[in-house]
Amino acid sequence: MKTWKLRDIIVLSSLSVVFAVVYVLFLQVGNVLVGFMGPMGYEVIFGIWFIVSIISAYILQRPGAALLSETVAGVVELLIGNTTGPVLILSAFIQGLGAEAVFAAMRYRSYSTPVLMAAGMGSAILSFAWGFIHSGFAALSAGLLLAMFVTRMISSALLAGLLGKWIADSLARTGVLRSFPIAKTASAKQIRSKAEAS
Amino acid sequence: MLALQNSKSKPSRRHLFLALGRLNPSIKAMTVVLCVVLLSLAFDPVTIASALLLTLLMTWLFGNIAWNRWLLLFAPFLILALGYFWTAALFPREAIQPDSVLILSMGPFKMTNQSFQIALALCLRTLLFSALSLLFILTTDPVRLMLSLMQQCKLPPKLAYGILAGFRFLPLFREELAIMQRAHRVRGAGRIRRTPRSLLYAFKRYSIPLLAGAIHKSERAAVAMISRGFTGKSDRDFYTRVQITWRDGLFMALMLAIVAFSFGLSHFLGSLRWYNGEL
Repeated sequence: MKTWKLRDIIVLSSLSVVFAVVYVLFLQVGNVLVGFMGPMGYEVIFGIWFIVSIISAYILQRPGAALLSETVAGVVELLIGNTTGPVLILSAFIQGLGAEAVFAAMRYRSYSTPVLMAAGMGSAILSFAWGFIHSGFAALSAGLLLAMFVTRMISSALLAGLLGKWIADSLARTGVLRSFPIAKTASAKQIRSKAEAS
Repeated sequence: MLALQNSKSKPSRRHLFLALGRLNPSIKAMTVVLCVVLLSLAFDPVTIASALLLTLLMTWLFGNIAWNRWLLLFAPFLILALGYFWTAALFPREAIQPDSVLILSMGPFKMTNQSFQIALALCLRTLLFSALSLLFILTTDPVRLMLSLMQQCKLPPKLAYGILAGFRFLPLFREELAIMQRAHRVRGAGRIRRTPRSLLYAFKRYSIPLLAGAIHKSERAAVAMISRGFTGKSDRDFYTRVQITWRDGLFMALMLAIVAFSFGLSHFLGSLRWYNGEL
């Protein structure tokens, strides 16, 4: 925490605030879907709940960014009225840990599309394990569980990994991230040169 | 929905012996988490229903909250609980015991007494956990929570004030969104059709400027805080101190008593069933 600049912390927490609102809105979407299709309703859109770790890790490229942003988003969600309660912070921490582990395995050097997608899937794996303990998944049949897990993995790779990268790249293109590590990575540079050429 | 957050609104009429809003937020959060962990060990309708009713009683007695707001937040979880109920009732994992009474048969779906009990427990669990959470959320002021996290839980001030700064941007984001909507309308670009492509485009048109503005604002706030002498060191002093009093101990004891009573009641009635992964 000592090595973090205040600017990075505030950027991280305001990203978390924005996405906490998105998370709460999607919780309502999820609740409606669950009413129709049972626990499967959440799985289809589950990836959206990991997106802030992907975006802030990609923008800040610092150890801990994925974990911290997801946890802060959990805290903020709690403050604006997610009724999952204080346990939500623990859930968010576990989800962030999944993404963080993937970035740590790459030694915080690679933030390519496959790595970002894998980070989303890392969150999916840990959050599913947590679901067993916390949400009573054990009461559901094995076939349904497998279908839920596969759906969650796909959803995480697409909604967290791909969508997160797309949002961060679009942000980099506006120029606001010029002083952040994301501006130095290859894909952002490519996009910028393309934008300048046209 | 965001208007729900100002929980410090109306002044309390009656004098509350144990006002939940004035308790220490860290201790309150800890108590709620402890209750959730303990109660998640039980998996029978009696324990959970008893704990749910007592939690509601506790909220009603000491919460001093607006019930319409409570209902608004609780209602989505009723839908969720129903969803859980029918999937668990109709797709049980366990092989149905032959001695279990069949209570509903609808085409290929059969609901036995046993699967009904499990489904009811699962559905009440969702309601119990959200009732416990609402007890915390609707009685806790965000600023007091952050102060308490810094003072009691040693959260680094850099992070705590960073989060508060981000949190303060919320109303600004809403304002900015309204301005963008108006600007789009003035230029005749406001129409969003229901095709996926149009929706994706609309999403980009609002989210990217909003996030770019958020990053700008954060950088400015950081510069402003540092230039006013914010160092982020832990050995700072506070204008407001959030204390721990005997009321916090009493609250914790009462909540744990609720848990103990629920387990005891269920044990007495012979319906207690522990949650173990084998279900």
